[in-house]
Amino acid sequence: MTIGQPTDDELLQRLRHGDEAAFLELYRRRQAAIYRFAMHVSGSVSTAEDIVQEVFMTLLRSDCGYNPERGTLSGYLFGIARKQALRHLERGRIDVNIEGDLEVAPLPQMAVDDDPLAELTHRETIESLRRAVAALPRRYREVVSLCDLEEVDYADAAAALGCPIGTVRSRLHRARALLLEKLNKERPKSGLGALTPVRCEI
Amino acid sequence: MSCEEFWNQMPDSLVNHASECAACAGRLAREQRLTAKLRILSAELSDVSTPARVEANLLAAFRATHEIGSRTQTRWWRMPVVAWTAAGAMAAALILGVAVLPKRHVAPPATHHSASTQVELASFNNQETDDGFIRIPNTPQIDPNDDVNVVRMELPKSAMLAVGLNVSPEQVSDTVEAEVMLGSDGLARAVRFME
Repeated sequence: MTIGQPTDDELLQRLRHGDEAAFLELYRRRQAAIYRFAMHVSGSVSTAEDIVQEVFMTLLRSDCGYNPERGTLSGYLFGIARKQALRHLERGRIDVNIEGDLEVAPLPQMAVDDDPLAELTHRETIESLRRAVAALPRRYREVVSLCDLEEVDYADAAAALGCPIGTVRSRLHRARALLLEKLNKERPKSGLGALTPVRCEI
Repeated sequence: MSCEEFWNQMPDSLVNHASECAACAGRLAREQRLTAKLRILSAELSDVSTPARVEANLLAAFRATHEIGSRTQTRWWRMPVVAWTAAGAMAAALILGVAVLPKRHVAPPATHHSASTQVELASFNNQETDDGFIRIPNTPQIDPNDDVNVVRMELPKSAMLAVGLNVSPEQVSDTVEAEVMLGSDGLARAVRFME
Protein backbone atom coordinates (compact mmCIF):
# COMPACT_ATOMS: atom_id res chain seq x y z
CA MET A 1 0.00 0.00 0.00
CA THR A 2 1.34 3.45 -0.89
CA ILE A 3 0.75 6.80 0.73
CA GLY A 4 -2.61 8.29 -0.20
CA GLN A 5 -4.34 4.94 -0.55
CA PRO A 6 -7.06 4.19 1.96
CA THR A 7 -6.09 1.78 4.72
CA ASP A 8 -7.72 -1.61 5.05
CA ASP A 9 -9.71 -0.35 8.03
CA GLU A 10 -11.01 2.63 6.07
CA LEU A 11 -12.07 0.34 3.24
CA LEU A 12 -13.79 -1.93 5.74
CA GLN A 13 -15.74 1.00 7.17
CA ARG A 14 -16.80 2.06 3.70
CA LEU A 15 -17.88 -1.41 2.63
CA ARG A 16 -19.97 -1.69 5.78
CA HIS A 17 -21.94 1.26 4.43
CA GLY A 18 -22.49 -0.46 1.11
CA ASP A 19 -19.55 0.98 -0.83
CA GLU A 20 -18.97 -1.62 -3.54
CA ALA A 21 -15.77 0.01 -4.79
CA ALA A 22 -14.28 -0.23 -1.30
CA PHE A 23 -15.17 -3.91 -1.11
CA LEU A 24 -13.55 -4.56 -4.48
CA GLU A 25 -10.42 -2.61 -3.57
CA LEU A 26 -10.01 -4.50 -0.32
CA TYR A 27 -10.65 -7.81 -2.03
CA ARG A 28 -8.17 -7.13 -4.83
CA ARG A 29 -5.57 -5.94 -2.35
CA ARG A 30 -5.71 -9.04 -0.14
CA GLN A 31 -7.12 -11.96 -2.11
CA ALA A 32 -3.97 -13.26 -3.79
CA ALA A 33 -1.90 -13.63 -0.63
CA ILE A 34 -4.80 -15.29 1.19
CA TYR A 35 -5.39 -17.61 -1.75
CA ARG A 36 -1.74 -18.71 -1.87
CA PHE A 37 -1.63 -19.14 1.90
CA ALA A 38 -4.82 -21.22 1.80
CA MET A 39 -3.35 -23.23 -1.05
CA HIS A 40 -0.20 -24.00 0.90
CA VAL A 41 -2.06 -24.92 4.08
CA SER A 42 -4.85 -26.94 2.47
CA GLY A 43 -2.78 -28.38 -0.36
CA SER A 44 -5.71 -27.89 -2.71
CA VAL A 45 -6.46 -25.23 -5.30
CA SER A 46 -10.22 -25.72 -5.18
CA THR A 47 -10.24 -25.63 -1.38
CA ALA A 48 -8.19 -22.44 -1.47
CA GLU A 49 -10.80 -20.92 -3.76
CA ASP A 50 -13.56 -21.84 -1.31
CA ILE A 51 -11.53 -20.45 1.56
CA VAL A 52 -11.03 -17.06 -0.09
CA GLN A 53 -14.76 -16.88 -0.73
CA GLU A 54 -15.54 -17.77 2.87
CA VAL A 55 -13.01 -15.26 4.22
CA PHE A 56 -14.53 -12.35 2.33
CA MET A 57 -18.09 -13.53 3.00
CA THR A 58 -17.20 -13.25 6.67
CA LEU A 59 -16.26 -9.61 6.12
CA LEU A 60 -19.74 -8.92 4.78
CA ARG A 61 -21.22 -9.79 8.15
CA SER A 62 -21.59 -6.88 10.50
CA ASP A 63 -20.55 -9.08 13.44
CA CYS A 64 -17.48 -10.61 11.79
CA GLY A 65 -15.50 -10.22 15.00
CA TYR A 66 -12.66 -8.08 13.69
CA ASN A 67 -11.17 -5.83 16.36
CA PRO A 68 -8.50 -3.35 15.17
CA GLU A 69 -7.09 -3.21 18.70
CA ARG A 70 -6.11 -6.86 18.52
CA GLY A 71 -4.26 -6.67 15.20
CA THR A 72 -4.44 -5.63 11.58
CA LEU A 73 -7.18 -6.61 9.18
CA SER A 74 -4.62 -8.50 7.13
CA GLY A 75 -3.65 -10.67 10.12
CA TYR A 76 -7.32 -11.19 10.89
CA LEU A 77 -8.07 -12.31 7.32
CA PHE A 78 -5.16 -14.76 7.35
CA GLY A 79 -6.47 -16.05 10.67
CA ILE A 80 -9.91 -16.74 9.21
CA ALA A 81 -8.32 -18.37 6.19
CA ARG A 82 -6.32 -20.61 8.49
CA LYS A 83 -9.37 -21.62 10.51
CA GLN A 84 -11.29 -22.38 7.35
CA ALA A 85 -8.37 -24.40 6.01
CA LEU A 86 -8.21 -26.42 9.23
CA ARG A 87 -11.94 -27.08 8.96
CA HIS A 88 -11.50 -28.32 5.42
CA LEU A 89 -8.59 -30.49 6.49
CA GLU A 90 -10.57 -31.96 9.37
CA ARG A 91 -13.48 -32.70 7.07
CA GLY A 92 -11.28 -34.29 4.42
CA ARG A 93 -8.67 -35.69 6.80
CA ILE A 94 -6.07 -34.65 4.26
CA ASP A 95 -3.46 -33.71 6.78
CA VAL A 96 -2.44 -36.36 9.28
CA ASN A 97 0.75 -34.92 10.60
CA ILE A 98 2.78 -35.71 13.62
CA GLU A 99 2.98 -32.15 14.79
CA GLY A 100 3.33 -32.66 18.49
CA ASP A 101 6.37 -34.86 18.12
CA LEU A 102 8.03 -32.52 15.71
CA GLU A 103 7.54 -29.51 17.94
CA VAL A 104 9.72 -31.03 20.65
CA ALA A 105 12.04 -33.09 18.49
CA PRO A 106 15.71 -32.02 18.41
CA LEU A 107 16.81 -29.92 15.48
CA PRO A 108 18.36 -31.85 12.64
CA GLN A 109 22.13 -31.86 12.79
CA MET A 110 23.85 -30.54 9.73
CA ALA A 111 27.41 -30.29 8.59
CA VAL A 112 28.97 -26.84 8.56
CA ASP A 113 29.53 -26.94 4.79
CA ASP A 114 26.39 -28.90 4.07
CA ASP A 115 24.34 -26.65 1.79
CA PRO A 116 21.76 -28.65 -0.14
CA LEU A 117 20.95 -25.65 -2.34
CA ALA A 118 24.48 -25.18 -3.58
CA GLU A 119 24.55 -28.08 -6.05
CA LEU A 120 21.16 -27.53 -7.63
CA THR A 121 20.32 -25.43 -10.66
CA HIS A 122 17.94 -22.55 -10.23
CA ARG A 123 14.94 -24.49 -11.60
CA GLU A 124 15.74 -27.59 -9.56
CA THR A 125 16.12 -25.48 -6.47
CA ILE A 126 12.74 -23.83 -6.84
CA GLU A 127 10.99 -27.10 -7.64
CA SER A 128 12.69 -28.88 -4.76
CA LEU A 129 11.84 -26.05 -2.46
CA ARG A 130 8.21 -26.04 -3.54
CA ARG A 131 7.97 -29.78 -2.86
CA ALA A 132 9.77 -29.44 0.46
CA VAL A 133 7.41 -26.66 1.63
CA ALA A 134 4.40 -28.75 0.60
CA ALA A 135 5.77 -31.71 2.55
CA LEU A 136 6.28 -29.78 5.78
CA PRO A 137 3.96 -30.55 8.70
CA ARG A 138 1.05 -28.14 8.69
CA ARG A 139 2.18 -25.80 11.47
CA TYR A 140 5.55 -25.27 9.81
CA ARG A 141 3.98 -24.93 6.39
CA GLU A 142 1.75 -22.19 7.78
CA VAL A 143 4.55 -20.15 9.19
CA VAL A 144 6.82 -20.51 6.14
CA SER A 145 3.96 -19.60 3.87
CA LEU A 146 3.09 -16.53 5.93
CA CYS A 147 6.52 -15.18 6.84
CA ASP A 148 8.77 -16.35 4.02
CA LEU A 149 6.47 -16.61 1.03
CA GLU A 150 3.94 -13.87 1.77
CA GLU A 151 6.34 -11.73 3.81
CA VAL A 152 3.77 -11.12 6.51
CA ASP A 153 5.40 -9.52 9.57
CA TYR A 154 5.75 -11.51 12.77
CA ALA A 155 2.99 -9.61 14.58
CA ASP A 156 0.43 -10.33 11.87
CA ALA A 157 1.61 -13.92 11.61
CA ALA A 158 1.19 -14.29 15.37
CA ALA A 159 -2.35 -12.88 15.14
CA ALA A 160 -3.19 -15.21 12.27
CA LEU A 161 -1.77 -18.28 13.98
CA GLY A 162 -3.10 -17.35 17.42
CA CYS A 163 0.26 -17.64 19.15
CA PRO A 164 2.94 -15.32 20.60
CA ILE A 165 5.57 -13.76 18.34
CA GLY A 166 8.29 -15.86 20.00
CA THR A 167 6.46 -19.00 18.90
CA VAL A 168 6.30 -17.70 15.34
CA ARG A 169 10.06 -17.17 15.38
CA SER A 170 10.88 -20.55 16.83
CA ARG A 171 8.50 -22.34 14.46
CA LEU A 172 9.98 -20.47 11.55
CA HIS A 173 13.46 -21.42 12.59
CA ARG A 174 12.47 -25.06 12.97
CA ALA A 175 10.60 -24.97 9.68
CA ARG A 176 13.70 -23.70 7.88
CA ALA A 177 15.80 -26.39 9.51
CA LEU A 178 13.31 -29.02 8.37
CA LEU A 179 13.33 -27.57 4.87
CA LEU A 180 17.12 -27.78 4.72
CA GLU A 181 16.95 -31.33 5.98
CA LYS A 182 14.40 -32.32 3.34
CA LEU A 183 16.42 -30.67 0.61
CA ASN A 184 19.54 -32.36 1.88
CA LYS A 185 17.87 -35.78 1.63
CA GLU A 186 16.62 -35.02 -1.85
CA ARG A 187 19.85 -33.82 -3.43
CA PRO A 188 21.83 -36.18 -5.64
CA LYS A 189 24.74 -37.91 -3.92
CA SER A 190 28.00 -36.19 -4.76
CA GLY A 191 31.43 -37.72 -4.63
CA LEU A 192 32.30 -35.79 -1.53
CA GLY A 193 31.34 -38.57 0.82
CA ALA A 194 29.33 -38.15 3.96
CA LEU A 195 29.58 -34.80 5.66
CA THR A 196 30.09 -34.88 9.38
CA PRO A 197 27.24 -33.36 11.34
CA VAL A 198 28.26 -30.76 13.89
CA ARG A 199 26.27 -29.25 16.73
CA CYS A 200 26.87 -25.99 18.47
CA GLU A 201 28.15 -26.57 21.96
CA ILE A 202 27.81 -23.07 23.39
CA MET B 1 23.62 -16.74 25.19
CA SER B 2 22.90 -20.35 24.25
CA CYS B 3 22.31 -21.53 20.69
CA GLU B 4 18.66 -22.12 21.49
CA GLU B 5 18.23 -18.55 22.70
CA PHE B 6 20.13 -17.25 19.71
CA TRP B 7 17.96 -19.02 17.16
CA ASN B 8 14.75 -18.13 18.93
CA GLN B 9 15.65 -14.46 19.15
CA MET B 10 17.09 -14.18 15.70
CA PRO B 11 17.85 -11.76 14.17
CA ASP B 12 18.15 -9.42 17.18
CA SER B 13 21.46 -10.66 18.51
CA LEU B 14 22.62 -12.46 15.44
CA VAL B 15 25.95 -10.80 14.84
CA ASN B 16 27.35 -11.27 18.33
CA HIS B 17 26.65 -14.96 18.64
CA ALA B 18 27.55 -15.90 15.08
CA SER B 19 30.96 -14.32 15.55
CA GLU B 20 31.55 -16.65 18.50
CA CYS B 21 30.18 -19.90 17.08
CA ALA B 22 31.25 -21.34 13.73
CA ALA B 23 28.44 -23.91 13.70
CA CYS B 24 25.74 -21.29 14.12
CA ALA B 25 27.46 -18.93 11.69
CA GLY B 26 27.36 -21.71 9.07
CA ARG B 27 23.79 -22.51 9.85
CA LEU B 28 22.86 -18.86 9.65
CA ALA B 29 24.52 -18.60 6.24
CA ARG B 30 22.53 -21.63 5.05
CA GLU B 31 19.31 -20.19 6.40
CA GLN B 32 20.00 -16.92 4.65
CA ARG B 33 20.57 -18.75 1.37
CA LEU B 34 17.37 -20.72 1.97
CA THR B 35 15.47 -17.52 2.71
CA ALA B 36 16.77 -15.98 -0.49
CA LYS B 37 15.55 -19.02 -2.45
CA LEU B 38 12.20 -18.82 -0.67
CA ARG B 39 11.94 -15.20 -1.82
CA ILE B 40 12.51 -16.38 -5.41
CA LEU B 41 9.81 -19.01 -4.97
CA SER B 42 7.57 -16.31 -3.53
CA ALA B 43 8.23 -14.09 -6.57
CA GLU B 44 7.45 -16.99 -8.89
CA LEU B 45 4.15 -17.55 -7.13
CA SER B 46 3.24 -13.88 -7.05
CA ASP B 47 1.07 -14.18 -10.16
CA VAL B 48 -1.02 -16.91 -8.59
CA SER B 49 -4.31 -15.45 -7.49
CA THR B 50 -7.92 -16.39 -6.92
CA PRO B 51 -9.91 -17.20 -10.09
CA ALA B 52 -12.07 -14.34 -11.34
CA ARG B 53 -15.29 -16.25 -10.62
CA VAL B 54 -14.68 -15.83 -6.89
CA GLU B 55 -14.67 -12.05 -7.26
CA ALA B 56 -17.87 -12.28 -9.31
CA ASN B 57 -19.53 -14.45 -6.66
CA LEU B 58 -18.46 -12.16 -3.85
CA LEU B 59 -19.56 -9.07 -5.70
CA ALA B 60 -22.93 -10.66 -6.29
CA ALA B 61 -23.18 -11.58 -2.63
CA PHE B 62 -22.21 -8.03 -1.65
CA ARG B 63 -24.88 -6.62 -3.96
CA ALA B 64 -27.45 -9.12 -2.74
CA THR B 65 -26.77 -8.22 0.88
CA HIS B 66 -27.14 -4.51 0.29
CA GLU B 67 -29.86 -4.83 -2.32
CA ILE B 68 -32.07 -7.02 -0.16
CA GLY B 69 -31.26 -4.86 2.83
CA SER B 70 -32.21 -1.64 1.10
CA ARG B 71 -35.25 -3.14 -0.57
CA THR B 72 -36.43 -4.48 2.74
CA GLN B 73 -35.82 -1.18 4.40
CA THR B 74 -37.99 0.58 1.85
CA ARG B 75 -40.65 -2.04 2.26
CA TRP B 76 -40.47 -1.96 6.01
CA TRP B 77 -40.98 1.78 6.10
CA ARG B 78 -43.77 1.50 3.60
CA MET B 79 -45.69 -1.15 5.50
CA PRO B 80 -46.87 0.93 8.46
CA VAL B 81 -48.16 3.50 5.98
CA VAL B 82 -50.15 0.79 4.22
CA ALA B 83 -51.38 -0.52 7.54
CA TRP B 84 -52.35 2.92 8.78
CA THR B 85 -54.07 3.73 5.51
CA ALA B 86 -56.02 0.48 5.70
CA ALA B 87 -56.82 1.03 9.35
CA GLY B 88 -57.88 4.61 8.59
CA ALA B 89 -60.05 3.45 5.72
CA MET B 90 -61.59 0.75 7.87
CA ALA B 91 -62.18 3.18 10.70
CA ALA B 92 -63.78 5.60 8.29
CA ALA B 93 -65.91 2.83 6.85
CA LEU B 94 -66.88 1.72 10.32
CA ILE B 95 -67.88 5.24 11.34
CA LEU B 96 -69.79 5.72 8.10
CA GLY B 97 -71.41 2.31 8.52
CA VAL B 98 -72.53 3.07 12.02
CA ALA B 99 -73.69 6.56 11.21
CA VAL B 100 -75.17 6.22 7.73
CA LEU B 101 -75.73 2.64 6.65
CA PRO B 102 -78.12 0.06 8.06
CA LYS B 103 -76.51 -2.32 10.54
CA ARG B 104 -76.14 -5.23 8.05
CA HIS B 105 -73.82 -3.08 5.90
CA VAL B 106 -71.39 -2.35 8.65
CA ALA B 107 -67.85 -2.89 7.38
CA PRO B 108 -66.22 -6.09 8.63
CA PRO B 109 -64.17 -5.67 11.77
CA ALA B 110 -60.43 -5.21 11.87
CA THR B 111 -59.72 -8.69 10.47
CA HIS B 112 -60.12 -7.20 7.02
CA HIS B 113 -56.60 -5.80 7.10
CA SER B 114 -55.00 -9.04 8.16
CA ALA B 115 -56.94 -10.90 5.51
CA SER B 116 -55.56 -8.64 2.82
CA THR B 117 -52.10 -9.17 4.26
CA GLN B 118 -52.68 -12.92 4.10
CA VAL B 119 -53.60 -12.62 0.43
CA GLU B 120 -50.41 -10.71 -0.16
CA LEU B 121 -48.37 -13.28 1.74
CA ALA B 122 -50.03 -16.12 -0.12
CA SER B 123 -49.12 -14.60 -3.44
CA PHE B 124 -45.50 -14.46 -2.29
CA ASN B 125 -45.56 -17.94 -0.84
CA ASN B 126 -46.80 -19.34 -4.13
CA GLN B 127 -43.41 -18.47 -5.51
CA GLU B 128 -41.62 -20.87 -3.18
CA THR B 129 -39.95 -23.71 -5.05
CA ASP B 130 -39.82 -27.36 -3.99
CA ASP B 131 -36.37 -26.88 -2.49
CA GLY B 132 -37.52 -24.04 -0.28
CA PHE B 133 -36.19 -21.13 -2.31
CA ILE B 134 -38.47 -18.12 -2.45
CA ARG B 135 -38.27 -16.02 -5.56
CA ILE B 136 -37.33 -12.42 -4.86
CA PRO B 137 -40.17 -10.21 -6.09
CA ASN B 138 -39.66 -8.16 -9.27
CA THR B 139 -36.74 -10.25 -10.48
CA PRO B 140 -36.71 -12.34 -13.66
CA GLN B 141 -37.72 -15.98 -13.42
CA ILE B 142 -34.81 -18.41 -13.25
CA ASP B 143 -34.60 -20.55 -16.33
CA PRO B 144 -33.85 -24.22 -15.53
CA ASN B 145 -30.92 -24.00 -17.94
CA ASP B 146 -29.45 -20.94 -16.22
CA ASP B 147 -26.11 -21.20 -14.52
CA VAL B 148 -26.80 -20.19 -10.92
CA ASN B 149 -24.69 -19.85 -7.81
CA VAL B 150 -25.89 -20.33 -4.27
CA VAL B 151 -24.14 -18.31 -1.60
CA ARG B 152 -24.75 -18.72 2.11
CA MET B 153 -24.81 -15.49 4.10
CA GLU B 154 -26.30 -13.74 7.07
CA LEU B 155 -29.07 -11.32 6.26
CA PRO B 156 -31.02 -8.94 8.45
CA LYS B 157 -34.35 -10.53 9.37
CA SER B 158 -35.97 -7.55 7.71
CA ALA B 159 -35.00 -9.27 4.44
CA MET B 160 -37.69 -11.85 5.19
CA LEU B 161 -40.27 -9.10 4.82
CA ALA B 162 -39.06 -8.45 1.28
CA VAL B 163 -40.20 -11.92 0.25
CA GLY B 164 -43.46 -11.72 2.15
CA LEU B 165 -42.60 -13.55 5.34
CA ASN B 166 -43.79 -12.36 8.73
CA VAL B 167 -41.25 -10.81 11.08
CA SER B 168 -42.13 -9.10 14.31
CA PRO B 169 -40.89 -5.50 14.55
CA GLU B 170 -38.68 -6.41 17.53
CA GLN B 171 -36.77 -8.95 15.42
CA VAL B 172 -36.24 -6.83 12.35
CA SER B 173 -32.71 -5.88 13.33
CA ASP B 174 -31.68 -9.50 14.11
CA THR B 175 -29.86 -11.56 11.52
CA VAL B 176 -30.84 -14.83 9.91
CA GLU B 177 -28.76 -17.32 7.97
CA ALA B 178 -29.88 -17.69 4.38
CA GLU B 179 -28.87 -19.10 1.04
CA VAL B 180 -29.16 -16.65 -1.82
CA MET B 181 -29.45 -17.94 -5.36
CA LEU B 182 -27.63 -15.72 -7.83
CA GLY B 183 -28.36 -15.71 -11.52
CA SER B 184 -25.68 -15.82 -14.19
CA ASP B 185 -25.69 -12.00 -14.18
CA GLY B 186 -24.74 -12.07 -10.50
CA LEU B 187 -28.06 -10.66 -9.30
CA ALA B 188 -30.05 -12.28 -6.52
CA ARG B 189 -33.01 -14.29 -7.77
CA ALA B 190 -34.24 -16.33 -4.83
CA VAL B 191 -33.57 -16.83 -1.18
CA ARG B 192 -33.94 -19.72 1.26
CA PHE B 193 -33.90 -18.96 4.96
CA MET B 194 -32.27 -21.51 7.21
CA GLU B 195 -34.61 -20.92 10.15
